[in-house]
Amino acid sequence: MPHALKRSLIYGALIIWTVIALFPIFWTFSTTFKVAKDVQLGHIIPWVDFKPAWLGLRAIGLSPDTIFTESTPRAEFVKRFWNSIQASFGASFLALIVGSMAAYGLSRFQYRWKIWKNNDISFFFLSQLILPPVVLAMPFLVLYKELALLDSMLGLILIYALSVLPIVIWIMKDQFDTIPQELEQAAMVDGCSVWGAFLLIILPIALPGMVAAFILSVILCWNEYFFAALLTSTNAKTLPVMVASQTGSQGISWWSMAALSSAAILPLIIIGVFLERYIVKGLTTGSVK
Amino acid sequence: MASVDIVNARKSYGDQEVIHGVSIGISDGEFVALVGPSGCGKSTLLRMIAGLEEITGGDIRIGDMIVNGLPPKDRDIAMVFQNYALYPHKTVAQNMGFALKLRKVSKSEIDARVQKAAEILGLIPYLNRYPRQLSGGQRQRVAMGRAIVRDPKVFLFDEPLSNLDAKLRVQMRAEIKELHQRLKTTTVYVTHDQVEAMTMADKIVVLHDGIVEQIGSPLELYDRPANLFVAGFIGSPSMNMFNGKIRAGAKPFFETASGARLPLAKAPESSDGRDAVYGIRPEHLSLGGDLNIKVTVIEPTGAETQVLGKVGEDKINGVFRERVTTKPGDLLAVSPDLSLVHLFDLKTGNRIG
Repeated sequence: MPHALKRSLIYGALIIWTVIALFPIFWTFSTTFKVAKDVQLGHIIPWVDFKPAWLGLRAIGLSPDTIFTESTPRAEFVKRFWNSIQASFGASFLALIVGSMAAYGLSRFQYRWKIWKNNDISFFFLSQLILPPVVLAMPFLVLYKELALLDSMLGLILIYALSVLPIVIWIMKDQFDTIPQELEQAAMVDGCSVWGAFLLIILPIALPGMVAAFILSVILCWNEYFFAALLTSTNAKTLPVMVASQTGSQGISWWSMAALSSAAILPLIIIGVFLERYIVKGLTTGSVK
Repeated sequence: MASVDIVNARKSYGDQEVIHGVSIGISDGEFVALVGPSGCGKSTLLRMIAGLEEITGGDIRIGDMIVNGLPPKDRDIAMVFQNYALYPHKTVAQNMGFALKLRKVSKSEIDARVQKAAEILGLIPYLNRYPRQLSGGQRQRVAMGRAIVRDPKVFLFDEPLSNLDAKLRVQMRAEIKELHQRLKTTTVYVTHDQVEAMTMADKIVVLHDGIVEQIGSPLELYDRPANLFVAGFIGSPSMNMFNGKIRAGAKPFFETASGARLPLAKAPESSDGRDAVYGIRPEHLSLGGDLNIKVTVIEPTGAETQVLGKVGEDKINGVFRERVTTKPGDLLAVSPDLSLVHLFDLKTGNRIG
């Protein structure tokens, strides 16, 4: 096959795939600017199929005519957005600290708890992902009620940290396993304590993995709906819950839902575009030596 | 600088004892090589001196201080690892200065000492590079630089040359020896390569299965190995050994299991008929004499010729400075240097003459 033909086939396939991958995002963004009729008739292309309107952005107080005025919907949106940021970054940060230490321990020290050794403990952590969150709904509801953590940001951060911890431990243990033990030993001979060696030598080397684990858990927490819907109400409610609540008694307000969804997707797109190489680097460290 | 004393040191993992009461005295400024086959416990012993492994029994003293319970950072030792263990996120200069920085030495002092060490090791052009940008030999030098800027009481080397190619190894061997002569710091050097140990050390400790087989200067070990293990381990190519019986008498000789007769200068007292092992190094055979070797392989290297052959049923190996004109299948007449014949007891393996 001639080189040029091969190239154009590859590029053709890539372009088709790009369209498929980007269409949902395009659809979400464009729906923000549709009125009910355009949504129902399936109009797709702006200015050709339909005339863009400010309906969606007005619903969250961000359209040109509302942006400089007092707006209750906007205050509500900003609060939920800020809640989402607090919950996902707070939980990821907490999970990263606790998870890194746990992973370092599992990678470097031999533990024994009854018949369980390091591998069993690692598997136990990872096996928590198998459990469907629904199983935990009732226990957590009762627990949070007793601890007065219902509808609090702290409560949400704690449960999110707990739910991403297995993944963080898994990624970080993989990272630490690839770092030769002699590095800490050299650091200890050079004058570090065990903690000094961990903080000054090992953590900087494991940084790509930490960034990957952090981004991954931010994404997972950002998208989380179930526990947010279950454990929060007026105060700590996050963006996904607000998106879902747009299905009111007068039917679904597509435009405002699309506007909220766009706002929710945007941070992830930014993370994806700018930090993607860290994720790949962090997740593939163990594979090639 | 300090002496190191290891007194009846033991190490076990669970029920498994791997170091069975080792005692070694290392005086101030001495270069000691711990040598032995893999799994003999030499690295474990070194790591016990460093404080990276706990000591199960006995004492280790550095200078006047018993260091048994002391963490590595308080022992004032420096260690060079087999894989160098350079910090990948630090430059060469930062790698070398790290220990000083931890000790809160002033920046100007760190720079001066790193500069001096880099000069000694020829690392000046590389100070701002990262370890990944260096070749194996350069990394090796950085690892040594990291050790010498500290000016520690003791240097510990854990097979530092085994990741280098043969030529570089010979070169670095000389560099390390020269460095020791210059700094005169007490050094403990672990290697499985007896040539390295022989060429570098003031004193060699031969370890085998967690016990000390012999301690002595390189030539003591070569000339008078205390037992069969040391005899077989030290020297390359290794010593020829024959099982058989000592025949004393007016003209003593050694009779191998297959009936061949090997000459002896004199038999040890009342040893007639004793089961023993007769050892002669390949380089202590000379051409001409009444011991006939049936030649199987000839290996000329130019400087010397190695001849592999058989005496009776036993294999024998000879190294001659002369050019040997013989071919496989021929008989070659040789004679052992009678003053350099070693006799060992067959059962205990210990030297008897």
